[in-house]
Amino acid sequence: MPPAFKSIATLSQELKNGEVSSRQLVEQAVARIDTLNPELNAVVCLEADQALANADQADAKRAKGEHSPLLGIPMLHKDIFCTQGMRTTCGSKMLADFVPPYDATVVQKLKDAGMINLGKCNMDEFAMGSSNETSVFGACKNPWDVTRVPGGSSGGSAVAVASGMVPFATGTDTGGSIRQPAALCGITGLKPTYGRVSRYGMIAFASSMDQAGPMAHSAQDCALVLNAMAGHDPLDSTCDNTPVPNYHQTLDHPITGLRIGVPKEFFSSHLNTEVATAIDTAVRELERAGATVKEVSLPSTDLAVSTYYVIAPAEASANLSRYDGVRYGYRCEAPSDLQDLYVRSRTEGFGAEVKRRILVGTFTLSAASYDQYFMKAQQVRRLITQEYDSVLNEVDVIAGPAAPNTAFALNDTSKSITDMYMEDVFTIGANLAGLPAISLPAGLVNGLPVGLQLIGQRFGEAQLLNVAHQFQSRTDWHTRRPTLEAVR
Amino acid sequence: MTQASTVKDVAALARLTISEHDIENVTAEFNQTLALFDALQSVDTNGLAPMVNPCTANQPLRTDSVATLVGREELMKNAPSKAENYFLVPRVID
Repeated sequence: MPPAFKSIATLSQELKNGEVSSRQLVEQAVARIDTLNPELNAVVCLEADQALANADQADAKRAKGEHSPLLGIPMLHKDIFCTQGMRTTCGSKMLADFVPPYDATVVQKLKDAGMINLGKCNMDEFAMGSSNETSVFGACKNPWDVTRVPGGSSGGSAVAVASGMVPFATGTDTGGSIRQPAALCGITGLKPTYGRVSRYGMIAFASSMDQAGPMAHSAQDCALVLNAMAGHDPLDSTCDNTPVPNYHQTLDHPITGLRIGVPKEFFSSHLNTEVATAIDTAVRELERAGATVKEVSLPSTDLAVSTYYVIAPAEASANLSRYDGVRYGYRCEAPSDLQDLYVRSRTEGFGAEVKRRILVGTFTLSAASYDQYFMKAQQVRRLITQEYDSVLNEVDVIAGPAAPNTAFALNDTSKSITDMYMEDVFTIGANLAGLPAISLPAGLVNGLPVGLQLIGQRFGEAQLLNVAHQFQSRTDWHTRRPTLEAVR
Repeated sequence: MTQASTVKDVAALARLTISEHDIENVTAEFNQTLALFDALQSVDTNGLAPMVNPCTANQPLRTDSVATLVGREELMKNAPSKAENYFLVPRVID
């Protein structure tokens, strides 16, 4: 078994026992990336020498008796996080040569915890996509079937973990970008409550929904890393100062009496029937573990897609106006005047999906459309949030599918733009309402992973991880691994 | 139905251009996306305050004190064109 298929907890114990060194773990991870990446295209920047130097420092600390749980564990960052001195592209030609002069808070925190960053993961351009096909580096491929997408936008992170390159990678989730690729690649991914993890140094897409989170094999590993990622940051005014619990300590709590609500709207015509069966079986397993299950209603589930695709592009159009070819990022050749510089730098630097969303966002924010679209969507966002809050007054956790289908084919031209947007139908609600949500492996349909989504109370990450861990203590879906013979 | 000319005007506001080759397709996709928003119009939102973000009341602001997070020299390294401490752009004043 490659080291990265082992849990962080196991690797940490092996490091502590002196059975393996951090240098060896990094060397093995680099070798595996070298072998698998030409086909999977999950890693877009690999800084092996720096990682090995950092691993040696971690080994030296262990030799002196330091044994924090993440010390010396290899990892990768989604290429949306600014990494000082390491190229950060956000999957875009616009930032193809951008080398940040500072670390994102998440990067700094994981560095402080002793994790060894090997490089950066592929992603949809500016996190806009559900298939990882909009990246300037080209599509990333699903290790369970290389003719299929890994999901997006954190597709590279999901693939890096699922294929055993590293045991952990960071992701970000604006409309499902951690949970949907986690579901499609058979790993565990958590989107924390809005404000739980700092957004400082995380390249902005839709600022009122963007949130960073962990992607790993198990809830236990996500808990270990979230302990280091979460917490107030004075550099992010939206970052909350609610105390951070020890997420690892509560994993073993029994879930007897836990109230689970299953929204009937999640089992609609959008949902593949075999995925529905797998989700139903998973929910029954939680019931056998002592939870009570009842049907609940989130009547505005379908409206969430329309609401999100007004608000997210509007925020994106404002956020991405900073890319003008002047201070950093792509600049066109030989601009004739300042307007030409702006227009050609942006037209040449952004890809099709990003431009599509900027156009829609600019339109819905324009004076003539603002009330009809943007204001209306913000009101419906309130309505959707109230529905979630109301249900979460009746139950502790909402359960359902993370994605309506298993991984779909690469270059699927039969899928329209709005078909692609509907892939987010079950994940978007938690982003609009700012709630924490996790996707965990819950079955295989025709050899492809299915993700069970659990949505919790604000700052209820400990409960979500506890429920997920209890599920993973009773099932082995999170230990299933893709057969990688085809890509070796 | 939004016309191609409107889409071009929106693109100009966003400092983007759409080629004649692409305009028909871009306009069709634009209208396809706007059609997705039609469902919102029939929702009764009377009395609902717009929700700008999902923040709670626990976002304390730091003291507004002057600090240097990153030095000028470091920041200028990513400039596509520069001279001394300035970003260079095409001439704007004759």
